Amino acid sequence: MGYLLDSIRALGVTAKNIGRKPVTVQFPKVIRERQERYRTSFALLKDEQGEERCVGCLACERICPSQIIHMSSTKKESPVTGKKRGYLDDFTLDMTACIFCELCVQVCPFDAIVMLKVPHEPGYVREDLVLTMAKLYENAEKPLTWGNGTKLMEMQEPPKPAPAQAAAPVPAPAAAPVPAAVPVPAAAPAPAPVPVPASAAAAEPAKTEAP
Amino acid sequence: MQGLLRGLVYGGLIITVLMTATAWGMWLERKLAARMQSRIGPNVVGKFGLLQPVADLMKLLQKEEIYPIGADRLLFDLAPFLVTTFAIATAAVVPFSAEAVGADLDVGLLWVLALGGLMVIPVWMAGWASNNKFALIGGMRAVAQSISYGVPLVLTSLVAVVFTGTMSLSGIVKFQIEHGWLALWPPGPGVVAFVLFYMALLAESNRIPFDIPEAESELVAGITTEYTGMKFGLLYVGEYVHTMVGSAIAAVIFLGGWDGPFHIASGLHWMVIKTVALFASVYWVRWSLLRFRSDQLMRLCWLYLVPVSLGLVVFAALWRHFVLR
Ligand code: SF4
Ligand code: SF4
Repeated sequence: MGYLLDSIRALGVTAKNIGRKPVTVQFPKVIRERQERYRTSFALLKDEQGEERCVGCLACERICPSQIIHMSSTKKESPVTGKKRGYLDDFTLDMTACIFCELCVQVCPFDAIVMLKVPHEPGYVREDLVLTMAKLYENAEKPLTWGNGTKLMEMQEPPKPAPAQAAAPVPAPAAAPVPAAVPVPAAAPAPAPVPVPASAAAAEPAKTEAP
Repeated sequence: MQGLLRGLVYGGLIITVLMTATAWGMWLERKLAARMQSRIGPNVVGKFGLLQPVADLMKLLQKEEIYPIGADRLLFDLAPFLVTTFAIATAAVVPFSAEAVGADLDVGLLWVLALGGLMVIPVWMAGWASNNKFALIGGMRAVAQSISYGVPLVLTSLVAVVFTGTMSLSGIVKFQIEHGWLALWPPGPGVVAFVLFYMALLAESNRIPFDIPEAESELVAGITTEYTGMKFGLLYVGEYVHTMVGSAIAAVIFLGGWDGPFHIASGLHWMVIKTVALFASVYWVRWSLLRFRSDQLMRLCWLYLVPVSLGLVVFAALWRHFVLR
C-alpha cells in the first residue's frame, strides 16, 4: 500500500515537472559566466622584454602528479640581460591526462606557465590534445586565469601577524593565532590542502639559480 | 492470389507505419523523459529534434559487428531478428478502425497472446548465445518474468473474452460500441481488469517497474549487453514495437478501440490517440517509479495479480450468465 501511494506521488512529481521550464543550459550556444577559479588549458608567457619566462627548471615536470609535462632546455646568454640562463628547446604538456590540479602553475618560480579561462577546443585526434611549445606560446593571447606561481604561493604561506602586510588576498583562516615565529608551514593551520608546493618552491628556485 | 497480394500490401503498410510510429515513439519518450527531469531532450537534429531517430539509425548502422568469444553465432544473429519479427507480427491483427485491419482473425486475441508468449524464446536465445553472464542472467530473469506475467495477462484478456463472447479483436470492439467500454462498464471490475492487464503488459515488455531483466545497475544491459550495431537496434526496436502494439491491444480490449467517447466521431484517430496515450503513460511510469526486486516481482504476480484476475474471470462469467443473457 505504501508503495502504491508513493508511486502515485512519484507520478505526480514527474507530471508536474513536464510543465516546468527546463533548467538545461545549451552549452555551445549559451555560455554561462565562468566561475572565478575556472581553469582549463595552459599557456607559457613571455616577459615585458619579450623574453621567454620559462628557464626549463623542471619544477613543473617534477611536481606534475600525472607526469605529463616533458621538456628539454639549453643554457644560453640572454640577449636582453646578457646573463646566462636556460632556454626551452621543447616543452609538451599532454592534456589527455591532466587533472587540472594547477600544481605546475603553483610551483613555477618565474610565473611562466599559467592556465586559461577559455575551454580547450575538443579535438578529433589525440594529438589535438597535446600542447606543444608553439601552442602554449600562442595560448598566451587568450584570456588567462588570475593565478600564477607567485600569487598561488602567497596563498600557501602561513598567516602573517602584521596587519599592514596584507599580502595574501585570501582571508586567513579564522583559527590562526599561531605566532609568526613558527617557520614550519606544515605545522600552521594552513589553508593549503597540498603541502607539497611549499617545500618544492622553497627548494626549486635555489637549485635553478645556482648554476 | 488476391489474398496474397492483399497480405503483402497490408503487411508492408503495417510494417512501415509501425516502424515509423515506433521511431517517433522513441523520440516522444526521450522528450517526455527529458521534460520530466526538467531537461530539454533531443533538439539538435531537425526541428525539435524530430530527426533524432534517423540519426540514431545512421549511427547504429555504422557500428562494428562484434561477436563475443564463444558466442553461438547462429542464435546470436537470429535472436534480434526474431524479436522484431514477433513484435511486428502481433500488429497484423490489431484493428485500427472497422476497415483498417491487416487480418481480422476470429482468434485475433489468441494470436496476439501466443506471439507475445513466443517472445520469450528469442529473448532467451539472445541471453544464451551471448556467452556472457550478465546476458544469461538477464535472459533467465526475462523468461521467468514473461512466463509469470503471461498468466495474469492471459487471464485479464480472458475477462474480455468472456464478457464479449468473442476472440476476434474487432468483435470485442464492436461489443464495446454496443455495450460500453470494458474499462468503464461494468463499473469496478472492468477498471481492475484494465489495470492488471496494463501491469502485466509493463512486465511483458520489460518496462520499469518490472525491468529486472535488464536492470542496468546489476546486469549492465541484460540480454543486449553483447549486442552492437543494428542487431542491438533490432532488439531495442523490438521492445518498443512490443510496447506500442501492447498499448494498441490494451486500447482495443478495454478502451473501446476506435470508438470515440459517447460514440463521438468514432474512427481511426481515436485508436491512434488512445494508443499514443497508453504508450506515453508506459514511459510516464517508467521515468517515475523504481524497479522491483526479483522476489517482490514474483510475489506481486503470484500472490496478487493471478488470484485477482482469476476472480475477475469468475465475475465475468457470472455477469455474462445472469446479467447479459
Ligand atoms: S595541472 Fe596538474 S596534472 Fe595538469 S599539467 Fe599541471 S601539474 Fe600536471
Ligand atoms: S616551473 Fe616554470 S620555469 Fe620551471 S620549467 Fe616549469 S614553466 Fe618553466
